[in-house]
Amino acid sequence: MKFEDKKGSINVVAPASCRHFLSVVKKFMAFACIYIAGFLVQAVARSEPSLRGDRVALALLSGKAPLWNVVAANAAAVRAGVQLGMTKAQVAEFCGVEVRHRAEAQEKATHAALLDVAWSISPRVEDTAADTIVVDLDGLFSLLGGDEEIARVLMERVMSVGVAPNIAIASNIEAAILVARGFSGISILPLGEEAARLGVLPVRVLSSDAEILETLDRWGIQTLRGLAELPVLQLSERVGQRGVLLHELARGARVRALVLAQSSLTFEEEMELDEAVEELEPLSFLLGRLLDQVCARLESRALAVQTIRVLFELEPSFEKDVQSLNDESRKKTAPREFTKVLTLPVAMRDAKVLLKLLRLSLQSDAPKSPIQKIRMTAEAASPRTAQSGLFVPRGPDPEKLELTVARLGKLVGESNVGVAELIDTHRAENFRVARWTCGAIAREADGRVRKGSRKRKAAAGVYAEDSHALTESVAKLSPAGFRMLRPPLVANVEVDGESSRRPSRVSFSGMRGDVIAASGPWRSSGEWWQEDGWDHDEWDLTIDFGKKAEPREQKLERIGLVAMNVNVHRRTKIPEPSPWPRHGVYRIFYDLPRKSWFVRGFYD
Amino acid sequence: MYIELHARSAFSFLEGASIPEEMVEACVERGMGAMAVLDRDGVYGAPRFYHAAIKKGIRAHIGAEVTTPEGWRFPLLVESREGYQNLCRAITLMKLRAKKGEGSLAAGELDWFVKGLVCLTGGEEGPLAYALAKGGIGLATQAVERLCESFGRGNVYVELQRHYCREEEARNQAAIEIARKLSLPLLATNCASYAQPQQRELLDVFTCIRHHRNLSNAGRLLTRNAERHLKTSGEMARLFADLPEAIANTASLSSRLEFSLNDLGYEFPKYPVPDGGTEMEFLRARAHEGRIRRYGAENEKAEKQIERELALIEKLKLPGYFLIVWDIVRFCNSENILVQGRGSAANSAVCYALGITAVDAVGMGLLFERFLSEERGEWPDIDLDLPSGDQREKAIQYVYKRYGRRGAAMTANVITYRGKSAAREIGKALSFDPETLARLASLVSAWEYKDSADTMENHFRDAGFDLNHPKIRKFFELCIQVQDLPRHLGQHSGGLVVCQGQLDSVVPLEQATMPDRVVVQWDKEDCADLGIVKIDLLGLGMMAVLEESLQIISKHYGEEVDLGHLPQGDEKIYKTLCKADTVGMFQIESRAQMACLPRLQPKEFYDIVVQVAIIRPGPIVGKMVHPYLARRQGREAPTCLHPLLEPVLERTLGVPLFQEQLLRMAMIAAGFSGGEAEELRRAFGFKRSEKLMRDVEVKLRRGMERNGITGTTQDTIVQSITSFALYGFPESHAASFALIAYASAFLKCHYLAAFTAAMLNNQPMGFYSPATLVKDAQRHGLRVRPIDVTKSDWVCTIEMAGDEHVMRVGLRYVKGLREEIGREIVRQREIEMFRSIDDLKLRVPRLQKGDLAALAEIGALNFIGGKQGFHRRDALWQIERVARRPGPLLESVESDDALSQRSPLQPMTSEDRLVADFHNTGMTVGPHPLRYHREDLRRQGVITAIELRSLRDGTRVRVAGSVIARQRPGTAKGFVFLSLEDETGISNAILTPQIFREHHVVVVHQQFLLLEGVLQNQENVISVKVQRLHPLFLTKAETVSHDFH
Repeated sequence: MKFEDKKGSINVVAPASCRHFLSVVKKFMAFACIYIAGFLVQAVARSEPSLRGDRVALALLSGKAPLWNVVAANAAAVRAGVQLGMTKAQVAEFCGVEVRHRAEAQEKATHAALLDVAWSISPRVEDTAADTIVVDLDGLFSLLGGDEEIARVLMERVMSVGVAPNIAIASNIEAAILVARGFSGISILPLGEEAARLGVLPVRVLSSDAEILETLDRWGIQTLRGLAELPVLQLSERVGQRGVLLHELARGARVRALVLAQSSLTFEEEMELDEAVEELEPLSFLLGRLLDQVCARLESRALAVQTIRVLFELEPSFEKDVQSLNDESRKKTAPREFTKVLTLPVAMRDAKVLLKLLRLSLQSDAPKSPIQKIRMTAEAASPRTAQSGLFVPRGPDPEKLELTVARLGKLVGESNVGVAELIDTHRAENFRVARWTCGAIAREADGRVRKGSRKRKAAAGVYAEDSHALTESVAKLSPAGFRMLRPPLVANVEVDGESSRRPSRVSFSGMRGDVIAASGPWRSSGEWWQEDGWDHDEWDLTIDFGKKAEPREQKLERIGLVAMNVNVHRRTKIPEPSPWPRHGVYRIFYDLPRKSWFVRGFYD
Repeated sequence: MYIELHARSAFSFLEGASIPEEMVEACVERGMGAMAVLDRDGVYGAPRFYHAAIKKGIRAHIGAEVTTPEGWRFPLLVESREGYQNLCRAITLMKLRAKKGEGSLAAGELDWFVKGLVCLTGGEEGPLAYALAKGGIGLATQAVERLCESFGRGNVYVELQRHYCREEEARNQAAIEIARKLSLPLLATNCASYAQPQQRELLDVFTCIRHHRNLSNAGRLLTRNAERHLKTSGEMARLFADLPEAIANTASLSSRLEFSLNDLGYEFPKYPVPDGGTEMEFLRARAHEGRIRRYGAENEKAEKQIERELALIEKLKLPGYFLIVWDIVRFCNSENILVQGRGSAANSAVCYALGITAVDAVGMGLLFERFLSEERGEWPDIDLDLPSGDQREKAIQYVYKRYGRRGAAMTANVITYRGKSAAREIGKALSFDPETLARLASLVSAWEYKDSADTMENHFRDAGFDLNHPKIRKFFELCIQVQDLPRHLGQHSGGLVVCQGQLDSVVPLEQATMPDRVVVQWDKEDCADLGIVKIDLLGLGMMAVLEESLQIISKHYGEEVDLGHLPQGDEKIYKTLCKADTVGMFQIESRAQMACLPRLQPKEFYDIVVQVAIIRPGPIVGKMVHPYLARRQGREAPTCLHPLLEPVLERTLGVPLFQEQLLRMAMIAAGFSGGEAEELRRAFGFKRSEKLMRDVEVKLRRGMERNGITGTTQDTIVQSITSFALYGFPESHAASFALIAYASAFLKCHYLAAFTAAMLNNQPMGFYSPATLVKDAQRHGLRVRPIDVTKSDWVCTIEMAGDEHVMRVGLRYVKGLREEIGREIVRQREIEMFRSIDDLKLRVPRLQKGDLAALAEIGALNFIGGKQGFHRRDALWQIERVARRPGPLLESVESDDALSQRSPLQPMTSEDRLVADFHNTGMTVGPHPLRYHREDLRRQGVITAIELRSLRDGTRVRVAGSVIARQRPGTAKGFVFLSLEDETGISNAILTPQIFREHHVVVVHQQFLLLEGVLQNQENVISVKVQRLHPLFLTKAETVSHDFH
């Protein structure tokens, strides 16, 4: 009795003589295992059907640029000479080998799809590994027919999601897993023949424990049959309970309960729209609906949202796409998707608050095209349970605070709200904006993550110790206050001589002044190992802007200058009167790679 | 005029990015007439800095930065010899009491050593900056006042540095204020840490290495800019335009610093002569005693030579030196430590008479001037070969004991960044992952020969790196830049320096990593260049083998062999040498030596001297080998370059083979004195200088013209002398080695078991792996027994099988088994034989499971309990149970299972045993791996190594074997030589560069090869010129090959 799956492979099944026996013991054949050989490769090929099958040699790279290594390859690639661990440059030398990057998202999706397939057959599913799923077939025979039928159904359904599995059905879970990992296609293992069938498999399918494999290797035990033949008592004396367990596995006699798969803490809702939405109001309505659904599901499991991610698929703009096709440089810039992520300082489940936050975020940064599809993914966490102390001053309600911060973000730009955090570098622009939360929440978050990293502490609004030290040392060095212009302003500078480069006259923002006194140059350069290294010569200049410069509007037009404003997204022209002191100490610098002068800021 | 008085070289180890020579070069380029290098806590680079400066005609001021416990440093400049001695003593004090690479000196401690030193207030790491940061200008003023109290007001300079930093300028302003207040002079410096601005990148990388960071997270540990390079006077004058006196003071301070390294005040120790005589009288008496012992009372020639040498020794005031070396040799003899002088000392009849060397300089007509000459003006060099290991350590400790810890020290060995270490360190700084770096490092070629494709670029490409990537490009550039820069200070293997009085006032001393060892901060070249006498106590593996062989022979054969009186002209030895059957023999065992021996056909001792010297780059590059061999075989008539040179070249058939010959040629043909001839050798030696070579050549030609040697004869002589000087091997050295070679050949031919056991007990040494040595011994009839815990000692031993001596492999060959555990097994066994594996584990509880597994796998537990018929897997079955401790209650109870010792496991196959043997011991005493496959190989037309000998030249053959050596010598134009071993012997194969390129991966990585090609049998030298090759997958056994010489 043989089956052929869609790949056309011949499957290991029970011999014809067992047919009668099979029907007798059918009720005992209780578990099916789905195993995807070469899972990483198949996950990538799933999204690129042209790469499926063994005709195309495919190798997967992983790692960080530029040091990518081959982490998986299909049989065709191995035949062509590709080995795991090869570098990108090495594998590129093989003609006819397709090279792709490992796609963890695809792997996750493939795994989720496998679970879906399993759940479509039975509610009792074990999520054994990314590439291995076990299904309890108990009670399915009357619904789906015999085990051959069930195996065929499973095979078809798994193949329909784009991967080729090995399916094994056996009387116990472990035997099913071993057979699925050891034999390709569909395999049905009759009750009582486990030891005989499994005997030919190599011992490495049993365990990845290097120590025990080494011991077995020393003993000359290569197959499960060899292991099964060892006296179990003496084996346990030598390798302990692990040995007994492996012995049972080798004989196919290991019986254990199914570890039921728990549904994940990720909740996903999706909505495809007939008509693309352009306005915020109708979009808010749709988002509200999705949020209601998500929150209802969360509520049923007593969970709350920690992070919410909304992926908008945008409607292709015909004209833009035509342009993109003809214009290589623009092709990459045309976004087809738009994502909003809200990471909440405290888990919450109030759909209205969540909607407000999303709206504010969309108001400050909206997608550029109409929305065709919305995919909302919520990462769940346990709701906040901590209670403040009786004598602790009442702080703002976290939800309201988050709303306020979001509103500020909308006004000034999200990247401009938070806590300035110094970076350990000689570079002048040595800070970043870290997310800010109020102390109570930070403490709470800190309590949750007892061994929180420095990064996490920073995210919770706690300054790193060395940041304090740095601030203090800077404060010591600069008794005068210094106002830094971000980004620095372009300036025109006249210098005394090419060799000294001492500025004598400076003009910027429509002002022009003579240098009364100069101190410098203060030279700094760094990050020479990167493409964006810097090399600056700074000057501290006392400048008198008493003189009238060329008409301001004209000047601005000429240099295309905009003033630095807190909202970097809305570039506004400098308002009258000029915010810069007409007589003061300025810090300007000459950017050597760009060969240009800039104003870094001025001293109070 | 500006003088840089505070620079750092790469000898500040990771705080400077240029070697002293580069700093001097840059200093000259910038028009400075002097410079001071102040390395951190040492004067490591001072000799190189001094000599580079002398060459370039500038003054080298010496100094150092001395670290304090608080972390700041005193920048100290040496003004006088006293100052230098104080500095050395201060550094020694801090170094000898601290761990290697650490140490500090408190300000109060330095007060003892301030005389003759000038103190600067330093830059960001100086005392002023430290005090300023700690307590403001008040504390800084106090700190500078304290310096004035210690060093004297005239010896403190307030240092100003301008690297375009705001913080630094604030400090400068405070320093100026303090200087004005205390009326101290200002001094501008740049604290130059590299010669050129672009070397800042390397300094940043060094900073990362020093702080165990990478460039991405080093932050402000890195330098702010690239301003710490050597600057011109103009640049510095512009920087200090407001303070011209700070610039002017550099020149005036420089003129104050009188000390130069040629004024070290070093004196060689005096030998304590008994009975109030002089050293010379004592030496003369010892030399005459020795002469009578060596030559007899009536040898006039020897007497004359010894007198001549003694006269020169007296004139050069060197009797103390000879007596000290004699004293060491005397100590070794009294302790039964084999010792033999080598190198140019063997040219001295006095050394021979004193027992320092074993070569009869008079009998062999060796040239004394090669060893010692009046003109050379430097100390003679005597190297003593000692058995490596404990015996050599005994001799070293004797020297320490005799001259005190501050009177003797080992010379240093400067470890530099090389290919692999450089790649690893820089890669880490650039945040590359270790796996990638390891891959790159493993691909760095170690072949001696480099062809045009053997470039760094190609290595990077081979490793899968794209050089177009900016980070990779930077990695590549930095790897190139860092090559040969000092990384840390090691200890030279045997160089010892001794001093009359305190060595620590000549050079700072440090604690070595090895206990009870003190090391100077200079390497042996630096010591020699500065006239410090060095005695090399070198460990020679073969000396240890000879010594151990003699002990074994005495114990097991009941015979006493005296190496000083071995029978000369032993026929068996010369027959063996003529057949090139020399595996394991000192200096004549390599493939190249084996290829020469059948042609040279040695018949007497001097032939061995020639054999040792002929396979060297000198004769090979100078194309002397083939003419000599042709003349020796009578295919070519011996002719001489000039009749005058006949006495010199007669012994080598008119072909110059030794350095002494070229010296004599210069002496005869051009009338050079002995010293001038030695000067010639040095002029063309490793440290050659164009100008010196030109001058010497002119002198040589003039001399020859005076003797009537002109035209082409003159050119030929000049060419042979000059081309040979660089690589030539000294005859005296060859003779010393030949003595050891003869001794090793004697022992191998007559006491094979003892010799093989001693060879195996002194590994690693020699050209071949233990596996090859064992197989060779077995082919010569030695029975080798496997490791057995019931029989084996820690080392390999001799057992008797009837009248036959057989060798038992020692437990030391069990990989991973610690010596103390191995010796404990032997000790316990001697108390009572082990009853079972349980008993073994119980009595040697430190035996780990891994040890037991290794012993079981190689069959070392098969005979435990005195029962027969067990196999290795029975033991493996038992050890798994034994290794699981049952707890104290049941620990001493032996189970039934233990006593039965049976297992349900199948015995190992021959392949299993082979794999286990090689995996756990690196060898097998069973059949050679190819033996198991011989029938298959015969079917494929593969013949054995021994069968090759009976085939005619030009026959097409197929041979197979395990690769035991791969070579690509620099002199062979890209040809690769492989040595293959099968069960019958060793076959040699030659690969053309093209074949090598085509099969590079297979040749380099495969353990077993099948070669097809044409047999070359030229004068009994047999090799296969390979036309095709294939990998053979015969076994998984991990055989080893000795590669890339």
